[in-house]
Amino acid sequence: MRWVIELENVHALYGHTCVLDVERLKIAAAERVFVVGRSGSGKTTMERLIKGGLRPSTGRVTVLGCDPTSRIPSERRAVQRRIAMIDQEFFLVPRQSVVANVLTGCLGRVSPWKSLLGWYPAYEWAKAEAILREVELDGLGNRRVERLSGGQRQRAAIARALMQDAEIILADEPISNLDPELAEAALGLLVDCVKRRGVTLVVNLHQPSLALQFASRLIGLSEGKVVYDGAPEGFTVDEAKLVYRGNRKHSQACEEVRHDEPAKAVGEKTPRPNLRLLRD
Amino acid sequence: MWSIKWTEFDLGALVRSGPRFGEFFSRLVPPDWSVTGLVINATVETLMIAFAGTFFAVVISLPLGFLAASNVTPGWVSHPTRWFLGFLRSIPLIVVAILFVVAVGLGPFPGALAITFHSIGMLGKFYAEEFETAEQGIVNAISGTGATWLQTIRFGLFPQSIPQVVGFTVYRFEMNFRDATVLGLVGAGGIGYYIQLYVRGFQYEKVAILLLVIIAVVTLLDQLSFWVRKWVR
Repeated sequence: MRWVIELENVHALYGHTCVLDVERLKIAAAERVFVVGRSGSGKTTMERLIKGGLRPSTGRVTVLGCDPTSRIPSERRAVQRRIAMIDQEFFLVPRQSVVANVLTGCLGRVSPWKSLLGWYPAYEWAKAEAILREVELDGLGNRRVERLSGGQRQRAAIARALMQDAEIILADEPISNLDPELAEAALGLLVDCVKRRGVTLVVNLHQPSLALQFASRLIGLSEGKVVYDGAPEGFTVDEAKLVYRGNRKHSQACEEVRHDEPAKAVGEKTPRPNLRLLRD
Repeated sequence: MWSIKWTEFDLGALVRSGPRFGEFFSRLVPPDWSVTGLVINATVETLMIAFAGTFFAVVISLPLGFLAASNVTPGWVSHPTRWFLGFLRSIPLIVVAILFVVAVGLGPFPGALAITFHSIGMLGKFYAEEFETAEQGIVNAISGTGATWLQTIRFGLFPQSIPQVVGFTVYRFEMNFRDATVLGLVGAGGIGYYIQLYVRGFQYEKVAILLLVIIAVVTLLDQLSFWVRKWVR
């Protein structure tokens, strides 16, 4: 098994508050890891550590065999190029076209000087167009991002991440701005694309039912500690209670999903009752 | 209150001066159209001074703006750059113009240099503030693709700031034209030379033509600035 992400004795402190305390966590290539937990449980901090946006206070984070926070810019860029990120705010340039935004995904591998003038090789254009078709945005390439709907923006953000040809895709609450139906569709699309490419996926999610549906491995965080790490099938209501201590709604949702609808193949339509539960 | 006292504010004096204003405006008509050609030539020269000055100011201010933006460069770069921009702004334009006239001689060239020098301070500060208000998440997203520092600026920061940067640059050009109209008073070329010549010679009917041309050009520039801002939005 090839480990692509390794966290060893990692502590992340904000001031004197420890927000993440992970003794040992390894993620293998092509795993689809969904991280669940309450707000402030350390999910985003963990992704920031993996992306290299944050240096651990103690311990070691190794991504693809490298240190993502290397002090040598070229080394740091080389590893960051191999990790794509989809944020809950999408962070696309609103007044630029969809295709211009997607093309920025290849900045790490094209000639810097030519790209500064907006010149990309023809094969990168072709690739961008193919990805836009894959995420069902064909025909919208020239439209400004500010004129897209929330779901379309989400797909544009996925397209940019795919354009990066990364070996790891991190997604931090990628569907928090979408309604439940769109959220499920967007997550299904992301997981489909990732499976086709054999890419490792790490997703932070608030909706445990969706995590159970799409994950190959589930990690539950509570107060900065890993309280569950295993297959989604083993995520029982007791574990859910441990992760969502005090939040009955989420524990209940996990329980309902567990009994009504076992984890199913990606792409299958989710029955309405589960979505209703989440809306409730 | 203190400023009113200090400036010897006197509304009575303003009211009493009414007849003198009336006399001044009455002497503006009929305008002396014979100087129209001369005035248009001088106006074109003034426009060229403003344009060249603004152009070179933009070329120099953009990199300075990036250097002065605290979200782009570390404090030891951004703070000294800001102080430098503040220093450039603090010297009045007319003093800069006199300095350049003394250094390079009479004509439009010192005028363009003075406009450049003064505008760098203003544009650089504005650009820096504009870059600082850009959404940092977008900048981080671009940087996270493995982009270089320059690529991050070009694709993450610049596209967000373009409408404001262009809008303010056009506005600054408009201001520079108005500023350039007085540079001729110190021999730095443009329409200012004729303003001084005709006012001192009490040739108010010729001053009327100057005023009409300036008002027309400023109105046109205002419209142009509106179109450009709308285009880049």
